[in-house]
Amino acid sequence: MRNFRVIRTVALLASSACMCITVAMAGDQCLVCHEALGGKVPSLYKNDVHRQKGITCAGCHGGDATSDDMDKAMDKKGGFAGVPKGDAISQACARCHSDAERMKAFGSSLPLRQWENLQASVHGNLSGVGAEHTVQCITCHDAHGIVRVSNPSSPVYPLNVVRKCTGCHANAGFMRTYNPSLAVDQLEKYRTSVHGMRNAGGDPKVAECASCHGSHSILRPGDVKSRVYPENIPATCAGCHGNVAYMAEYKIPTDQFDKYAKSVHGVALLQKHDAGAPACNSCHGNHGAAPPGVESISNVCGTCHALNAELFAGSPHKKAFAEQKLPACETCHGNHEISPASKDLLGVSPDAVCARCHALDKNEKGYALAQVMRRMVDSLETMEAESKGLVDEAEQKGMEIGEAKFKLRDVRQARLETRTIVHSFDESKFRPVVGKGLTIAVSVSDEARGVIHEFFFRRLGLGVSTLIITTVGICLLVIIRRIDRKQKKNAET
Amino acid sequence: MKTKRKKLIAWFDERIPLRDLVEFMGKKYVPVHRGSVWYYFGGVSLFLFIIQVVTGILLLLYYKGSEQLAWESIQFIMSKVQFGWLIRSVHSWAANLFILSVFIHMFSVFFERSYRKPREITWLTGMLMLFLAMGFGFSGYLLPWNELAFFATKVGTDIAGVLPVIGKPVMIFLRGGEDVTGATLSRFFGFHVAVFPGLFTVLLGIHLFLVQRQGMSEPLGGENSSDRGVMPFFPNFMLRDLLLWLIVLNVLAILAVFFPWELGRKADAFASAPAGIRPEWYFLFMFQTLKFFPPQVLVVDGEVLGILLFGLAGLLWMFVPFWDRKSSRGESNRTVIYVGIFVVIYIIVFTILGWVL
Repeated sequence: MRNFRVIRTVALLASSACMCITVAMAGDQCLVCHEALGGKVPSLYKNDVHRQKGITCAGCHGGDATSDDMDKAMDKKGGFAGVPKGDAISQACARCHSDAERMKAFGSSLPLRQWENLQASVHGNLSGVGAEHTVQCITCHDAHGIVRVSNPSSPVYPLNVVRKCTGCHANAGFMRTYNPSLAVDQLEKYRTSVHGMRNAGGDPKVAECASCHGSHSILRPGDVKSRVYPENIPATCAGCHGNVAYMAEYKIPTDQFDKYAKSVHGVALLQKHDAGAPACNSCHGNHGAAPPGVESISNVCGTCHALNAELFAGSPHKKAFAEQKLPACETCHGNHEISPASKDLLGVSPDAVCARCHALDKNEKGYALAQVMRRMVDSLETMEAESKGLVDEAEQKGMEIGEAKFKLRDVRQARLETRTIVHSFDESKFRPVVGKGLTIAVSVSDEARGVIHEFFFRRLGLGVSTLIITTVGICLLVIIRRIDRKQKKNAET
Repeated sequence: MKTKRKKLIAWFDERIPLRDLVEFMGKKYVPVHRGSVWYYFGGVSLFLFIIQVVTGILLLLYYKGSEQLAWESIQFIMSKVQFGWLIRSVHSWAANLFILSVFIHMFSVFFERSYRKPREITWLTGMLMLFLAMGFGFSGYLLPWNELAFFATKVGTDIAGVLPVIGKPVMIFLRGGEDVTGATLSRFFGFHVAVFPGLFTVLLGIHLFLVQRQGMSEPLGGENSSDRGVMPFFPNFMLRDLLLWLIVLNVLAILAVFFPWELGRKADAFASAPAGIRPEWYFLFMFQTLKFFPPQVLVVDGEVLGILLFGLAGLLWMFVPFWDRKSSRGESNRTVIYVGIFVVIYIIVFTILGWVL
């Protein structure tokens, strides 16, 4: 027992001597003692980026790191805060990270106000007790052993950040507390995506969670300021996919955004601010983003264009396209640069898409059908223009033509229907739709002509009645004069 | 030919003693003087009222006074019913000309001071008919249930609502609830085709009876008096009246053909108010005045004060035969003339401002 005490005393003296030497060398007495006491924290902090900048434990915990007297070093009157709890953790970080002067003194070029941004983000929710925020700086960055984001051992290094985010987001039990309606399968989907597979293979350049959602300022997808708000998604994706230098090694095109912005979908989303219009993720998926395959393209487009997809699936083109391994919708409409559907796509003129496969001497049945369909659409459009012109003329003449004008919508509707029914590539289905539109257009034209005729009839009627009234008036005037003369004559006699 | 006509007149006279009526009318005389032309505006107003009644009855054959069908029924009248467009346009134009004619008639009577004893009751009934005519206009404006009328009625009834004590109940009574809804349309329709015509007919009966009984008023003083003699009411004055009525009829036809009354867009209570909401032109001078009033005058709300002042002015105007004693004694009263000129200029200026601003 005595021997043990002696050994212990010697050991303590030896360790104290070592600590003194270390403090003298490093100037951080906290680390000297805590290292001697064991545990992971001191060894982790040794590699911490903050320590490399000369920040001692007291930088976050307070106290006097230069004193080897524990009572003095950890004196609460001297500013020792112990282990920070709740928001005090992030506030400790923010003392430097939100202070431009301090960060400049450390030679940092990091953005400021991350804590404030975090509070304003979707992660800025208060915890269940309501006294502190759910997510603190250390939730993602860890507390001790913080290294630069570019360091592969950082928990927020591109290859690690997915694991860090899904630590919570793939935990259904945990997520239920904060957002029960949010899916928890993002990781599974991500791993099936091109991004996810390359990320798992060790490519730090591909998109991970923070690439699209941001880091400190993550907002709900419904927030217009969010990087993944529908209208912002194309720009977010183009951040990488539009960067020629960045994408060079992947050997894929980088003009998708430019093409998309000009497409009917891009114009609807980016210019008309129609949040329902498809963005990149609508076709490629978001967490499971991948280019649609030949087989799946019609299914992707068919999510919105359901009737077109259904008609196409029942058309003779379905089999023909499959045999030639042609993607269904893309073959005629393109992919990123989809132009608004117009009659110019139909027919046998050089610009028409039908003419790419059909000619008089090649697939001639389809050639004839394309010709007939185009003629029918042309005649419907001509009739629509004529009836609209007549309605406009009647309206300009100040005539009441509201009902015919309303019916004109049905003509337009029929014309739009032809754009859908054309995907059946079946004349027997196409003709009735065109016929319906033509019948209404003829009735609108007749009605408008009748109203214009009525306009001139009214003027004629006014002319005749004015003539009659004027004649009666003149007669009255003559009678009045005659009576006046007669009365004057009588008075004189 | 003459014999045949005499025989026809004799045939009627045997059954209905027409000669007595012609003799009675022949004994009636209209003074001829510099201001005789103003006498015709009473007749023109009567003619326009008759047109309103006839076209109104014809419109009633197709009009449906409900929130869902009012606008559609007018559209049907304008586009499908034979001459429906003509009837509706004539009704709308005649309504405006009627009020214009009534105003001219009222001011001519005022400046001639024909309201003086013994014609106080004739003046009072005339003034009441003027108010009723404006009521006809206000209630009829809403009936097509279009956007402008809907919001103008909202503003108009809102103005009534600001009156202290009685304002809110009056507004709720007019609207049939807190807001302008189908209930408002129903009661405006009721006022327009039943209540107002009934009251108007009674007042018109009294007014015409008094005019016939008392004859036309002669101007005050010597300078305008009947120095050019008199003219028999029948047939001289009546034929002239008829000629003027024909001209008015032709003007109405021209207006209806060249400027058909627009229907506008159907009212939508949830839509935002369209630009350019303003009441009919005959309310415009009051509307514009209220817009110029400061929000607060001493301790009184500006709008309330404005409405009360208009009410007071209207009452003073209506009871002019009772406070203008000089005219009743046959003496000249320049104050009344100046007041009248001021009122005419005020109405014209503020109506123009209402259009321009």
